Amino acid sequence: MANLNVDSAKERTFDAIVIGSGMSGGWAAKELTGKGLKTLMLERGRDVKHLKDYPTTNMYPWEFEHRGEVPMDIQEANPVVNRCYAFHEDAMHFFVKDQEHPYIQTKPFDWIRGYQVGGKSLLWARQTQRWSDFDFEGPARDGFAVDWPIRYKDIAPWYSYVEKFAGISGNKDGLAELPDGEFLPPFPLNAVETYFSKHVKEKYKNRHVISARCAHLSKPNQIHLDQGRSQCQERTLCQRGCPFGGYFSANASTIPWALKSGNLTLRPFSVVQSIIYDEQKGKATGVRVVDTNTKETIDYYARIIFVNAAAINTNLVLLNSTSHRFPNGLGNDSGVLGKYVAFHNYSAHIGAEVEGFEEWATDGRNPAGGGYIPRFRNVYKQETDFLRGYACGLGAYRGYKHNYEGVGEDFKAGLSGKEYGKWYIGSHLMGETIPKESNFVALDPSQKDAWGVPLLKISVDYDDNDMKMQKDYVEQLTEMFTTAGFKNIKAQTNHQAPGLDIHEMGGARMGLDPKTSVLNKWNQIHSCKNVFVTDGASMTSTSCQNPSLTYMALTARAADYAISEMKKGNV
Amino acid sequence: MDRRTAIQNLALVIGGAVLLPHCSKSNPTAHFKHFDITYDQQTLITDIAETIIPKTTTPGATDLNLYGFVMKMVDECTKKEDQQSFMKGLGEFDSVPKKMFSKTFADCSKKEREDILKSFDKKDNGYSKDLTAFYQGVRGLTVWGYTESKYFLTKEIVYELVPGRYNAWYPVKNGKAVAKNG
Repeated sequence: MANLNVDSAKERTFDAIVIGSGMSGGWAAKELTGKGLKTLMLERGRDVKHLKDYPTTNMYPWEFEHRGEVPMDIQEANPVVNRCYAFHEDAMHFFVKDQEHPYIQTKPFDWIRGYQVGGKSLLWARQTQRWSDFDFEGPARDGFAVDWPIRYKDIAPWYSYVEKFAGISGNKDGLAELPDGEFLPPFPLNAVETYFSKHVKEKYKNRHVISARCAHLSKPNQIHLDQGRSQCQERTLCQRGCPFGGYFSANASTIPWALKSGNLTLRPFSVVQSIIYDEQKGKATGVRVVDTNTKETIDYYARIIFVNAAAINTNLVLLNSTSHRFPNGLGNDSGVLGKYVAFHNYSAHIGAEVEGFEEWATDGRNPAGGGYIPRFRNVYKQETDFLRGYACGLGAYRGYKHNYEGVGEDFKAGLSGKEYGKWYIGSHLMGETIPKESNFVALDPSQKDAWGVPLLKISVDYDDNDMKMQKDYVEQLTEMFTTAGFKNIKAQTNHQAPGLDIHEMGGARMGLDPKTSVLNKWNQIHSCKNVFVTDGASMTSTSCQNPSLTYMALTARAADYAISEMKKGNV
Repeated sequence: MDRRTAIQNLALVIGGAVLLPHCSKSNPTAHFKHFDITYDQQTLITDIAETIIPKTTTPGATDLNLYGFVMKMVDECTKKEDQQSFMKGLGEFDSVPKKMFSKTFADCSKKEREDILKSFDKKDNGYSKDLTAFYQGVRGLTVWGYTESKYFLTKEIVYELVPGRYNAWYPVKNGKAVAKNG
């Protein structure tokens, strides 16, 4: 019997464990297995195999029973996820339904989740921009959060490393605030976007409208073909899963690559309850898992553990990993674990009609979505009554002109008309928010989920800075649209709950000082060196760039460091 | 429409058919999940849809079973209070042809039917909120069902599942694409 247990424990022992299989977990698995480490990847949801498990990917609009609409009973049972822009009939099977994993909203927070192999990397909007030192130096310069323990030079080579593999399309725009990367050809701006870009450049010294940079294979290189991926076919049906592997997802890219190494064991249906800490050894020895099918609790062991459960759930795992040494959560000597959670301010958008440009339209679809305006506020110095700044999504489009009035033969014929109508242009706000101690997640003291894990209480809200930024965005974009000659400009603000931006970050932030941060400059828990956190939870501040590319780069960098530390015998 | 096209179109129509509760003369009430529809009501909504998208040389609302789509969406994708409003408005609809032409919608000519529906576009028509909601509901769903029918998206404005291109600068002359497209 004793021997059997030893054997069984041996079978449950790996070199590395990766908790989570999404954007950053996929990268951890790829890097660790690539360096020969026998790696166990744990995913709480079901498996989603590339190609095989994209049931709607080749469906035509008329093949959807409700033409894309989510039936009302599902909408009403799921008010949170129903607010997500991508929750439609074609992709709703990739989203967590509200009741599947309840949480407590101390303040309104729309927690959008994808519990499956690949996580939200299947569903993301694929916008990828590097951070610059204007971002990494932000907290120190403007006096909030704590100083980032890294600078652009530390992460730049890792941006290059992940960009080459993931495949990022974009222009080398030569902007200090948005460093260039290893780009595949960009998706070009259309006639109106180009006009607006020129207008903005002429009128404003530090404002730029560029082609959105995105994780699409506009022209694949050999490394992408080697992954089994091929050129993006401009379907813009990405949220269904792409049969071409045209955009980067863990399912199409990092996970199959890791599996090919022969070193990856992928275990879906595995909810991580906690990380096991060994008081004698002074380090983590493994992970306690509940099998969601058998309800069995199983321990897995490894020398190093990567936590990539997605920002909020990573906080949950760490907070729930208590021991004599860490009574308040793994690595939580500072007391900041779960705190300084931040997000992106998506609370405004603007639209207008565009006169002219009648000699141009677009044909096909633009996977990049259009243009991007990098942050222009407070970049070189503080110049407004709010801290930090915002980026703007931008897109111009022109459809067929249809008369929706009337009935009968002429009306019917008119619906088939192919005469182009007016151009429209629109933009949306993507603002940096300031991490604060009062924006936090914590374990509920009594309520637990179906797997015995405490429910999370989420208490995150906007602040005055966000509202000033919202106002400034509306003013500045209105001015830019007005001077460009656009007509019928309509700005709209909303108070969508934090979380709906799906850019929640922080809680286990990186920092120089163990007294005020959870992770060091290598995403390593200060006080538990064989545990690495490399997803959104690790973010010290949020910048206003879309975060996924930075998670990927931090993950590859941390994995490289972890392996070198293992070789030195330090972990 | 030649025979060949007719057969092709028929195939498209059948391809888009939706299985739904349906009335017939011998089965006067169809039970949907959230309401019942009588044979007369089914006929009325079918006739309204056909007036909006009539059969011409190409299939119309009845050929494409847009009635089925309208009712499916009202039944499955509509809030309860909007369903109730729709059903109330449906009950009130007969008053319009009665007032305008002193007969039922079924007895009206094509022209009269069109005039009845066009009266909904007029301001100050005095129609109740429910009546307006019913008609605009039928109209919106009929047009949606038509423009996202297999027929429309393969024969009128072709939907490409795999465009394989994004041309950001696509030349247009007099409002029309210079190159031939979908």
